[in-house]
Amino acid sequence: MNNFTLNALISMWVLLASSPSTAQASPSGNDNRETENAGPAPAVALNDASPVRFQFSGFGTLGMVYTDAKDLRFIRPSLSHSSSENPDFAPDTVIGVQGNLSLGQRASIVVQGISRKNTYNNYEPRATLAFASYAIAPFLTVRAGRMRMPFFMLSETSDINYANPWIRPPTEIYSLVPFNDLDGVDLLLSDNFGKWNVELHSYFGGSSAHIYQSGKGRLNGSGLDITATNGRLTLFAAHGEARMSMKWNDKDFQNLSSMLASPFVLNGDRILQDLSGDKGRARISSVAMQWDDTRWLLIAEYSCLRTTRYTPNAQAWEITAARRYGNFTPYLAFADFVRHRKNGTITSEKTGIPDLDAAVQAFTAPRNLGQSRATLGLRWDFYRNTALKLEYSRIRTKNNSWGSLFPTDLAKPRVENRRINTIGASVDVTF
Amino acid sequence: MNYKYRPMGKRSILRAAFFTIALFSFSCPVASDPDLLDTDVPEAIQIVTSANSRSVRPMSQEEAVQLFLGYRNRLNDGTLVTLIDLPVGPTRKHFYLRLTNKNPVQVRATWSRLVFSGRVRPPIEADSPKEALEWLASMPNAIGYLPASIQDQRLKVLLVVPND
Repeated sequence: MNNFTLNALISMWVLLASSPSTAQASPSGNDNRETENAGPAPAVALNDASPVRFQFSGFGTLGMVYTDAKDLRFIRPSLSHSSSENPDFAPDTVIGVQGNLSLGQRASIVVQGISRKNTYNNYEPRATLAFASYAIAPFLTVRAGRMRMPFFMLSETSDINYANPWIRPPTEIYSLVPFNDLDGVDLLLSDNFGKWNVELHSYFGGSSAHIYQSGKGRLNGSGLDITATNGRLTLFAAHGEARMSMKWNDKDFQNLSSMLASPFVLNGDRILQDLSGDKGRARISSVAMQWDDTRWLLIAEYSCLRTTRYTPNAQAWEITAARRYGNFTPYLAFADFVRHRKNGTITSEKTGIPDLDAAVQAFTAPRNLGQSRATLGLRWDFYRNTALKLEYSRIRTKNNSWGSLFPTDLAKPRVENRRINTIGASVDVTF
Repeated sequence: MNYKYRPMGKRSILRAAFFTIALFSFSCPVASDPDLLDTDVPEAIQIVTSANSRSVRPMSQEEAVQLFLGYRNRLNDGTLVTLIDLPVGPTRKHFYLRLTNKNPVQVRATWSRLVFSGRVRPPIEADSPKEALEWLASMPNAIGYLPASIQDQRLKVLLVVPND
């Protein structure tokens, strides 16, 4: 109590001695006082040798996931390569480092590199951020270079698992499009209104992706995000539109396309145009919210993808409820991914040849991520800036769809309409 | 604490799990969280800057929350500020708890999202309150927090975060 009284007296004294320090104090009366206080000017030499012009930081996850089906493995579609190991460390393990270089009051350069098992089946590091930014005004910043494609609420930090309750962001939403980079320009307009901070984020640019085996995808477009937060409640809405190309190059596709290209196959050309090419358009819309108070962390996201070709229209949602008990945070999540055009296939055209139509269907199934999932997990913040997570998921793949699972034997794939259990464990750090 | 028995759902494990979470959430008030009670209640904490930082004016609680949660890194006149963090410890923990109502994990998560999306620079962490004091006293436009008991002519108090 003595300490408390003493502290209260000290704080009152500080309040009185520096009367401008409370929000209620009239600002006009403060200026003189400040000038007076400024009296003996301290040495400002340290300004030049200030402790930071360059800052280094990083993040990482060591994660494993076990799949209870002998013939299937869990994958992060469009992010990681399939693996035969079980448990598998490939889907979730990632390490990233970042440097922020400030160049005076307005300009800065940010570079971030990560290493994770990629679609080429190696861990080669790559730049995920490499941009220069310039503050045109206190509330307006322009950036150019490589940023993250901001289609979803957490897309810009989808590798920073420490920041999220789960082992990984919901694959249903975050694998909707395989494009993660934004090579282009963006504008960040940010202002504060009372307790709220509102950010408008407009961007345009392109993104390339390496897709299954040796295919290539490309996206060029623009979009606008809006995020409003008061610290507890965050609201997010986004819309992006783009031209899209998707060129498969695996053996299955080569065989299929040579058959479809035959002049004797009905609709062969049209099916090929639906499957692969560079004349697609995509529109992606998202809404999301997060509630984060001392007890509860609630997250809900909904995203919708509309395309003209190469991939069917789809929508995905996830909802998460987490409750904090000291350093323990149990959570429950549900997610669903629905392809809702053309019965989940990429093309509605038929050749009339049963075997060939079946081959087209078989080609589209691995590219369909339709699944529903229920997850029960526990996060334990057992050490400073370090979290341990354990997660049980029950995944149900949908009709003509592989979801986030991949067969160990491609010759005998049996992925559709399955119920799979996965158990994951991970340790996340930031430094 | 009152633990009331509630019959569990019979249909599925998930339903049972959901009820378990719900049960705990209603029977464990947050004040019983041992992590929040196991440290000494620190003294009042003051947000300070160098007395030489003339463009840095006393601030409202809302402004302070936005600065220390990374939602702004500039003052209204456009001045870019540098935030100074104390090393991990009771003062830092209670500063963020009182000002932003967020625990250290929440604060770290919030900052991680902002820093690793390239939005803002992270605060600079001092090795000790003494080092923080030296930085704050000598670096113009550096803003940090110190126990209110620390008095120094070279500092200007911007806001006192009261003891709860």
